[in-house]
Amino acid sequence: MEKQIVLNTFLKETGGHIAAQLEACTRCGMCAEACHFYQATGNPEFSPVWKIELLKRAYEQRFTLAGKIRLAVGLAKPISEEEISHFSKIVYEACTMCNKCSMVCPMGIQLGPLIHEVRQGLSNAGVVPAELLAAVNQQVEEGSPLGVTDAVYKSRLEWVADEWEVALPQDVKGADTLVVFSSIELMKFPENIAAIAKILHAAGEKWTLSSQAREVVNFGFYEGNPERTIMFLKRIFDGAGDLGVRKIVVTECGHAYDALRWTSYNLMAVPQGIEITHIVGLVGDYVRTGRITLKKGAHNDGRITFHDACKIQRRGGHIKEPREILNVLAPDSFAEMSPSREQAICCGGGGGVIAIKDADSNRYAAFELKVDQLRRVGAKTVVMSCSNCRLQFTDCVQHFNLDIKVAGLCQMVADALEK
Amino acid sequence: MFWTDILAFARGPFFRVALWVFVGGMAYRLVRIIFLGWPADKVPRRGSKLWGALKSFLKGILVWPFIPWVKNTFNCNPVVYLAGGLFHLGLFVILILGTAHMLVWKSLLGFGWKTLPFPIVDWMAAITIAAIVILFINRLIHPVLKLISGPGEWLNLLFVFLPMVSGYVMAHHLWFRYEVIFSIHMIAVNILMIWIPFSRISHFMFYFFSKAIHGADFGKRAVEP
Repeated sequence: MEKQIVLNTFLKETGGHIAAQLEACTRCGMCAEACHFYQATGNPEFSPVWKIELLKRAYEQRFTLAGKIRLAVGLAKPISEEEISHFSKIVYEACTMCNKCSMVCPMGIQLGPLIHEVRQGLSNAGVVPAELLAAVNQQVEEGSPLGVTDAVYKSRLEWVADEWEVALPQDVKGADTLVVFSSIELMKFPENIAAIAKILHAAGEKWTLSSQAREVVNFGFYEGNPERTIMFLKRIFDGAGDLGVRKIVVTECGHAYDALRWTSYNLMAVPQGIEITHIVGLVGDYVRTGRITLKKGAHNDGRITFHDACKIQRRGGHIKEPREILNVLAPDSFAEMSPSREQAICCGGGGGVIAIKDADSNRYAAFELKVDQLRRVGAKTVVMSCSNCRLQFTDCVQHFNLDIKVAGLCQMVADALEK
Repeated sequence: MFWTDILAFARGPFFRVALWVFVGGMAYRLVRIIFLGWPADKVPRRGSKLWGALKSFLKGILVWPFIPWVKNTFNCNPVVYLAGGLFHLGLFVILILGTAHMLVWKSLLGFGWKTLPFPIVDWMAAITIAAIVILFINRLIHPVLKLISGPGEWLNLLFVFLPMVSGYVMAHHLWFRYEVIFSIHMIAVNILMIWIPFSRISHFMFYFFSKAIHGADFGKRAVEP
């Protein structure tokens, strides 16, 4: 039965866009060399091309003449129920949808988005790792996958405002900018919230939080489920609409930015006239235009490097801003990892992977590539603009016993603000 | 007399049939993809899709295939990268700038062009054949390629290898009588042309789709494709 749902999803979703890319694949296998999960484990089933095997087979066997003939005479392998659960483990537990593979593909195939299609088929059939599904359901019911209910949200913000002595304006009608935090920041990195608030105040931004649009994380997007993705996006757009803001700022969360900025428009009716941007883009603009000034060389704690998040840098385009900021904060001690920028290696925890216990061994294995990069650059501090990466880094630094400080970019900026 | 007849058949009716299967099959696949439907992209851009696509093509044609280290990832597998790049370069040089092939084009199109001296084309041919062998060995031993290779992948290599080798043997007048090796070469070419629309060798057409999609996707995000 599940097989049929998966197949139907693939058939429904496959238009020229997907078909042309599936047709272009030459089975050269180069994408494997880009995948941190394959590189770390050597498991050929983790190669990106294999992760789209189901989608490819469904397309060949249902759309193409040659594929139909092969299926009819028994030369092609039809999709089986067992394979569905087998591939579920692969595409959810060994893929962060970082899309590095598309940088390497000689045909330029956008493998990340194609793997997202595979997840969509599996999610429609309900073949999703239990922990991920539990988090999704929690977000449906409580508004957050990390148990941030309305009451928790309220009290947590009060505590942050108190602890860091910073004003957190809420539900201000007529504000220009709506800032939506992730519950990762709220629960694990509350200092980030205070830092972002300080920056916004320093820049004189007319901003607000919303009690309705209070979770930027989108676990439906991780799952690949369009209905739930839309449900969570709608909460944000509704909140923004009620307050009449002109701009939505996504804070340090990668997948949320991809969902809101680059996906929502093709999924649903997005309210007109609202600009969606990422906090790194906004802070970058502040620094460029002089709305905030930063202490030059504020960071003086040895070699510092920047980790590019797949959804904010490679898939979000905010590659220059962090460099500009770090060249002010740490002109002498900032150095790039290799490879970096749009070719950066993913942290290994994104795409929902960190939420799945069974994926821990993959996640730690993939991080070893990062450890190697950090060692080669001699980093004492690694800074990033994504809380999900930061969660992975914080966990892995402990796991591997590394003497490296993990920092959020906004926090560094807030600490370096000229009074 | 026997081989002369076969040659006449392979160069005549068989070649024309193969050509039509090739052209018709590829046209069918092109039209089918175009009519599958292309939903409009409503996402507001940060950069230019067109510029992204152009850069993606320029990099793909000029830079990438011959300089493995521009992409750090290829530290892992530079041999295959170079073999693949040289194979394609050799293929184009032989098919377009080899005198014998230019004359085939001339008979089909009605006009010809200047070609490269034989020794250069000959060396390219040798390199191309070596590249196929390297790619074949790699496909035999690489764990990912073993996993994703079906009969189609092996036949691709075989059907490209045969015209290459028979052409090379023919150009050097080795072992066979001229009409025998010419017949074998033509039959191999015809089989390849018939095979292409049913195989992934057709990627040369879809390359233009996927590369454009890639470039546009990166371009609209203002990221280097």
